Amino acid sequence: MTTIQINGKDVEVDPKQPLIHALHTNGCDVPMYCYHPGLSPVGSCRICQVEVQQGEGPSRVVVSCRTPVADGMRVFPDSEKAHDVRRECLEFLLKNHPLDCPICDKAGECDLQDYSFAEGQGEGRSVEPRRKLEKRKSLGDVIVLDEERCILCSRCVRFMEEVPKTPQLTVADLGARSVIATFMDRPLTGKYQGNLADVCPVGALTLSAFRFQARVWNLTKTTGTCGECSRGCSVTTEVLRGGELKRFRPRYNADVNTWWMCDVGRFAIEEHSLEGRLVGALVRGSRELEPADPFDAIDRAADVFTAPGHPVVIASPWLTVEEGERLRDLAEALGSEVHFLSPPANDLADDLLHTGDPCPNRRGLEGLGFSPIDAEAALELLSGATSALICGERIGALLGEGLGELPEKLRLVVLDTMPLDVPAVRAELGVPSSIERTGTWINVDGHAGKLGIARSAPPGVAPLVQTLDDLVARLSTTATAGGER
Amino acid sequence: MVIVKRKELSFWERLYLPEVVRGLSVTMRAIFRRKITRQYPEEPLATNEVTRGQPRLAVNEDDTIRCVSCGLCEIACPAYAITIDGQETDRFIEREPERFDIDMLRCILCGFCEEACPKDAIFMSEELELADFSREALVYDIEKLKRPISALQRRSDYVYKLNDRWHSSSSTS
Repeated sequence: MTTIQINGKDVEVDPKQPLIHALHTNGCDVPMYCYHPGLSPVGSCRICQVEVQQGEGPSRVVVSCRTPVADGMRVFPDSEKAHDVRRECLEFLLKNHPLDCPICDKAGECDLQDYSFAEGQGEGRSVEPRRKLEKRKSLGDVIVLDEERCILCSRCVRFMEEVPKTPQLTVADLGARSVIATFMDRPLTGKYQGNLADVCPVGALTLSAFRFQARVWNLTKTTGTCGECSRGCSVTTEVLRGGELKRFRPRYNADVNTWWMCDVGRFAIEEHSLEGRLVGALVRGSRELEPADPFDAIDRAADVFTAPGHPVVIASPWLTVEEGERLRDLAEALGSEVHFLSPPANDLADDLLHTGDPCPNRRGLEGLGFSPIDAEAALELLSGATSALICGERIGALLGEGLGELPEKLRLVVLDTMPLDVPAVRAELGVPSSIERTGTWINVDGHAGKLGIARSAPPGVAPLVQTLDDLVARLSTTATAGGER
Repeated sequence: MVIVKRKELSFWERLYLPEVVRGLSVTMRAIFRRKITRQYPEEPLATNEVTRGQPRLAVNEDDTIRCVSCGLCEIACPAYAITIDGQETDRFIEREPERFDIDMLRCILCGFCEEACPKDAIFMSEELELADFSREALVYDIEKLKRPISALQRRSDYVYKLNDRWHSSSSTS
């Protein structure tokens, strides 16, 4: 450890990290645009300048992202000189930056906006017109570039070079004519483009999917875990007005995903759509499935399971550990073995984040003693049974068309997010999707990822844990009543 | 219990007629005085540029809406009366409202939306009347809120004067 002095106070800092890291970890809010803790520092924006004095010499102003820490260094991040220098930098950065905040998607989470508000001048001094450049340049399907807003920090260029290691962006042209560009205006490729919108400190690179979708201060942010592969990246789930899911953003987690996430998980928005969701419960009437009270549906499910024979129990790979424990209790009461549906590995795997395994809680469910089974084997198992429980988010969709061909003598109980209208179904209850419940998933490395409640589940949908508990309680009362008879 | 004694009437008062004449003279004088009763609703209420009526969205002469759905009025609104969703347009300013609802039953006519607007797109109009048969009908959507800028000119000029803003209507590139 190295000892430096910040504002006259001695602090111990990591010698491997640049000065700006030492300042940030010690409560000094030095602004930064080109510096990103996950990328190599270049010192191009100059906004992180601080006053530094070493030994007895006069103090100097240095860029803190490119300055290594040294013993005995005295740093004055809030001195008048440092503020003046930063303010001048800001004026140059704002020289050509359009006053786009009312229409800019970054407004509200923009570093340039925040620091301009804190330190900038109320009025510009320049009389020359601003640069006129292309304002909606498509860089492929994911990213839209606004050249006017760009402050040429080159974070995006370095991200593409250093993280997915697919250099595609560059700072083209020279001096005042510099712009961010791809070679011959080719569209960007790769699975990590979405991160460009996150690393961009201004609104130059925005997600085309999120473009003008919401103002960021209207989004309710909840911590969660991505469920699209067994990596389980830590994410922030952002929901507009308690309803529509608008975006996932990566959340820093040194053990799992650091600052990044892949586009597969980032754009898994449709999976959490509220459209067509199973609200409340359905039970089989004389012919059709009819809406019912959830308690009646639980009664009906219990009736199915009290018939002789051991029901087949198949769980969704999205089940949390807590739900898995309840399901194990239920299966014990029924004398059945639990399988969990494990779709085959997809071809999305890479050496950065995506594992290619679509089961986010494989380790957790295997730890509970559940055995993996693929859709074909699951359907075969179901067609040979007299009663069955399929349980968890998206289970109907994963089992697919084959469910419709199951024999009508099979009495099937479904706990799913989406309604499933096949002849075998006797009772059906809604379950919350993974952004509507709490729980834990164990990722491929054994790291526990927590789910958070970003919005309430549709009306009449109880947490799966509660539904399974009710079912176990209902079964035990029927068992004792039957014993007395 | 208190016994209130009535005042004995004098002779002239008991005569009754002179008092009638005195009363009628008051009426006669009032007939020729300036009238202060307003014949509302036949006669609309007088308004001026200071009137803070219901908020309305300004539409330019070329039929384009000024609002860019930045959401500042939505966040400034103390009564949570405004709901906005944006969408992309082909115009130079790339964003416009897809949905702009003001719940007129929630609106308290405070004028914060007008003050917050960076694009001079929402003004407190001179429209004061608000009546309908259902609550849903009083949630005004964008089509009900649009007004040509000429209809809001008086208030717009006043707001410019009040805020000492610069005269050009657009404050961005």
